[in-house]
Amino acid sequence: MPELMNHVDFRTALENAIKGKSANKAPFSIAWASGKLSREHLARWAENHFHYVGPFADYLAYVYARMPDGFTEAKDFLLANMYEEEIGGDRHTDLLIRFAEACGTTRARVTDPDNMSATTRGLQSWCYAVAMREDPIVAVAGLVVGLESQVPSIYRRQTPTLRDKYKFTDEEVEFFDLHIVSDEIHGERGYQIVLEHANTVELQQRCLKICEVGAQMRLLYTTALYWDYVAKDLPIEQLDMVERKVA
Amino acid sequence: MPTVTLHRDGQTYRGEIDTNTNLVVKAGIRQFPYPNLRYGCGMGKCAKCACRVLDGAEHLPEPNWKEKQRLGPHLEQGYRLLCQLWLSHDIEIEQDKVPLAPLKAEPAQGETR
Repeated sequence: MPELMNHVDFRTALENAIKGKSANKAPFSIAWASGKLSREHLARWAENHFHYVGPFADYLAYVYARMPDGFTEAKDFLLANMYEEEIGGDRHTDLLIRFAEACGTTRARVTDPDNMSATTRGLQSWCYAVAMREDPIVAVAGLVVGLESQVPSIYRRQTPTLRDKYKFTDEEVEFFDLHIVSDEIHGERGYQIVLEHANTVELQQRCLKICEVGAQMRLLYTTALYWDYVAKDLPIEQLDMVERKVA
Repeated sequence: MPTVTLHRDGQTYRGEIDTNTNLVVKAGIRQFPYPNLRYGCGMGKCAKCACRVLDGAEHLPEPNWKEKQRLGPHLEQGYRLLCQLWLSHDIEIEQDKVPLAPLKAEPAQGETR
């Protein structure tokens, strides 16, 4: 029988739940980090990624509305997160579109939901389902800790490559730069909320499970990007250290 | 652990941070230097986090493109954007009472904290 964990042990358990399914292990991520993708591949990524991260404030808005009234700090965090995604500076999706345009695609193609793959649609749907149906603390664990907190480590690997190997300009890759700061804040605040409010064995276990599933969903999405758009040009044998399927 | 000394509004705040720490991230998660460091967008646009480095500038990397674009000649006066810096050494900084106006206009309003 699992027991109630203290904050230190619970955080370690959350980190381990995510680590096993890190999207860094997906073939698309490995191809990206090793400079083997074309701009056309990156354009397809942007067209899909828009539909996953674009509605992030929408996901959080559902969680915000369902968060108990007394959880003021948690509600404020969600509101700040939504604000920062949309109007705190440049709208994050506008920066993604700027990158997409540098890859050769257009704003119209990026925003058109017909250009996302079925797997991306699945990830987006999962995010909406979690936001609408799960206990709000469990939803924060899944969306913010499980998904958003992974972003800094992914982009930290990918951003230098975009400049050095793919020869994008600083302004073209600003989308990736800003996430290293803002997602660190968001991910860490997410941890704080989950650590404070998941105060029963049952809630802790549900948070761990959804982190695991969230990381698995992101890995599934990233892996599908490779098979849908890249595999025909870049056989899997040409990639090193690849986890070839989602276990 | 690096020590950060922050001067603002005639007060001095001092705290230790882990190596490779971004002070805007720390303030964003409600740890030192929160609530005494002013910051805004966290993306090098609004310049609200700008501080003058009084000591320890030699350990910092060269200003990046955002700092050059937003701070321009203020860089020569020792100003840096804290949201763009990960610190690994002791540093002493001063934040003006009135935030610097970024040289390039903001496309959207930045938040003041």
